[in-house]
Amino acid sequence: MTGKELILKAVRGEETGRPAWMPFVGAHGGFMIGKGATEYMKSAALTVEAMKKAKEMYKPDGLPIMFDLQMEAEVLGCDLHWTDDGPPSVTSHPLEGNDDWSADQVPDLDLSAGRWPVAMEAVRLAKKELGDEIALYGLICGPFTLALHLLGNDIFLEMFDEEEKVEALTMRCADIAIAAAGAYIDNGCDVIAVVDPMVSQISPDHFAQFVTPAMNKVFDYIRSRGSLSSCFVCGDVTRNLEVMLETTCDNVSVDEQIDMANLRVLAGKYGKSFGGNLHLTTVLLMGTIADCQREAIGCIETCGTKGFIMSPGCDLPYDTPPANVAAAGLMAVDPEQMKQVKETLGDAENDTYDDVIIPDYANENAVLVDLITLDSESCAPCTYMTDAANRAAAALTAEGYDIKVKEYKIRTRQGVGMLVKLGAKNIPTICIEGVPTFESLIPEQPKLIAAIREVADKKGARK
Amino acid sequence: MSELAELTESIKNGKRKIAVKIVTEELEKNTDAGELLAALVEGMDIVGQRFKNNEIFVPEVLIAARAMKESMTILEPILVTAGIKPEHKVVIGTVKGDLHDIGKNLVAMMLKGANFEVIDLGSDVAPDAFVKAAQESGAEIVAMSALLTTTMPSMRETVEALKAAGLSTKTMIGGAPVTRQYAEEIGATGFAADAATAVDMVRDLVSA
Repeated sequence: MTGKELILKAVRGEETGRPAWMPFVGAHGGFMIGKGATEYMKSAALTVEAMKKAKEMYKPDGLPIMFDLQMEAEVLGCDLHWTDDGPPSVTSHPLEGNDDWSADQVPDLDLSAGRWPVAMEAVRLAKKELGDEIALYGLICGPFTLALHLLGNDIFLEMFDEEEKVEALTMRCADIAIAAAGAYIDNGCDVIAVVDPMVSQISPDHFAQFVTPAMNKVFDYIRSRGSLSSCFVCGDVTRNLEVMLETTCDNVSVDEQIDMANLRVLAGKYGKSFGGNLHLTTVLLMGTIADCQREAIGCIETCGTKGFIMSPGCDLPYDTPPANVAAAGLMAVDPEQMKQVKETLGDAENDTYDDVIIPDYANENAVLVDLITLDSESCAPCTYMTDAANRAAAALTAEGYDIKVKEYKIRTRQGVGMLVKLGAKNIPTICIEGVPTFESLIPEQPKLIAAIREVADKKGARK
Repeated sequence: MSELAELTESIKNGKRKIAVKIVTEELEKNTDAGELLAALVEGMDIVGQRFKNNEIFVPEVLIAARAMKESMTILEPILVTAGIKPEHKVVIGTVKGDLHDIGKNLVAMMLKGANFEVIDLGSDVAPDAFVKAAQESGAEIVAMSALLTTTMPSMRETVEALKAAGLSTKTMIGGAPVTRQYAEEIGATGFAADAATAVDMVRDLVSA
């Protein structure tokens, strides 16, 4: 079964044998290919380049095209503030501060404006290159969050002062969402996620009044097109889980604050699939490999393999260490691996890998070049990095240097221990004499040879 | 129900017109301005607790804060004349690089509702701007908010900048990705998970 088939089965609520795995690579894709978020998020070619890299590194069953909830707002008249380490933020709200605002003032979504042509080109390219193997998610801005982008914080007061106008606005935002969803479906997306983080700030009653009718309009449209839908909320939406499950979506996806055992029961009650909720900051961004493995194992054991899609709680922070994401993902895609890791992880909260012995660099005659990879046989960037190290070593050996190259795969405890002890944050990484020197991006040969030669000369590592 | 209890109730339910009417009428009857203030603060306290207990959400807090603000517009000149003013000052802002201000605004409103003087620096506030505001105002507390993981390091820079400037100002942080552990790591005095807890913490810190 391909990853795509697995995700589609999971979204439909079926048993999949292992959890589906959906890493939400948004701005983080730029980090993966060494580009700032601003440049990355405006280029179809870079988007697809990062998706291909994410596919190699993270072994996902599905990937989002873009994770940017400001794309609709940008075209509808909101100003954006761009940064190089995350998605843009909305800085102005066209309907704000105007007593006479109305939903009619919101224009149609012009798909030839803003970044929509880039996004659609990215879908087509991704469909061609990756679409047979992995599911493509089109992420659109949910009606309430879009209404807030347009009206600003005034919306919270207008929900009391001008109820009918706000109802009309969220329904108008549903029309915008339908236009966006239709474009993603037309160009080849398999699942449409309606991402509405701001609903985490309102009560179930307000959700039912202002959001349910608008969301159902969008979900019903997606179903009428033969596609699948997800109701996706970043943030603590505990109080609104039931009203979310009562909408006509196929799947509910949630953030790290949600109790997944509870969601599993509720999702079963409403006959929907569910997804989530690896901790983003404390685990994936700042945690160790072992933290990420433990988190993923806990999530999988709580959620099972029926109608469940493991994913980060929201989009991955820009500079999340790729090794962390890969380590978490492996627990879902390789049950045998999870079993092994579980046995060696034990209950240790602070595993220091005392059993993993790092080489005695000082007492070796040769310069030791350690490669930390996912697996050079199955991960293309790892293959190229390994190849680069072997070629450099061969060139230097021909000059009379003593160089030894060894690969450590993070599929093994030894590999994870080396990564932790040497302080590498990315995979693949080339360490020279135990120092992480080239991470993620494959160095050019002259640069790599020069770096190893410098260390070898200092050490006197000659045959 | 007494007028003061009714005033508290109107704040609790965000009924600004009723709140303003009661404050106006009571002032005409020479009711003590301090008592009216206490009734308003009590209303916001209840709102804070209900928010903390997940009984109400952001919109309900905002309409209550609006009712409080409109009542204070009438009451404040009388309080000034009577020599009643907030005893403590708090500087607040969303840290540099971060433009998200809903959470910060909530905390600021709740603090005002609890009768603190709030110096709100807005969003995208650089560490030196926090330092300058703390120096100029003599605030006892600097409160920082961040929604993005990428802007959290600016909290550390601000804490360090305040220390480097020789200020003994207490610091507190909050926002979706922020944790107690992070507060401890960067040497912030406190962490608050929500706006109501932030008010409780400010009360604790100024009386410590």
